[in-house]
Amino acid sequence: MLVITRKADEAIVIGDGIEIRVLRVGRDGVRLGITAPADVSIHRHEIYNAICDANASAARDTTAASVEHLVERFRKQTGREPSR
Amino acid sequence: MNNAVIDMVSPLPGFENCRRYVLMAAPEIAPFARIQGLDGSKPSFLALPPQAVVAKYEQKLSDADREKLDAGEREPLLWLSIVRIDGDHAFANLRAPLVINPRCMLGLQVVLADEQLSIDHPFLQD
Repeated sequence: MLVITRKADEAIVIGDGIEIRVLRVGRDGVRLGITAPADVSIHRHEIYNAICDANASAARDTTAASVEHLVERFRKQTGREPSR
Repeated sequence: MNNAVIDMVSPLPGFENCRRYVLMAAPEIAPFARIQGLDGSKPSFLALPPQAVVAKYEQKLSDADREKLDAGEREPLLWLSIVRIDGDHAFANLRAPLVINPRCMLGLQVVLADEQLSIDHPFLQD
């Protein structure tokens, strides 16, 4: 891992057109300003991790029996007629 | 649009080794659909339209994401929330839906900015 020390109003540049600037250093956290091309997605790491976890758990149980059970319960709940 | 192959323009987080999925929308499991991975560990997902869970779910795609899916401003897109089954409970991911352009079969798991949306929204009554 590359480690760089930056102060408020200093920045780093990554590749073409990505700039991360330290806006403020506070007691509770560091405020960052990020400039990047529109097609670069930027997320807080914990959100990305939560989606990773949700996807992994979702893929854990999709057996035919579980799905059938879920479909039956969901249709009963929503009053949806089975379409066959 | 049965059993057509979707190319993910970015991999699903946690499943970086799988880019191609088959969408299987069998009437037996409607309104759910199965999304079967073809690469890597071949993950299998269950999904359903978020509106089937939250009727007033109205989210917009960012211009950048729309462009990634090669979709015009008014082009109809297919939105699906991945479902997590846990015993007698089931949860829908409303925050990070799969958005698919059915015209060119490009897909993307979008992370929506609305922090009120749950990644793990329970939708089965006890």
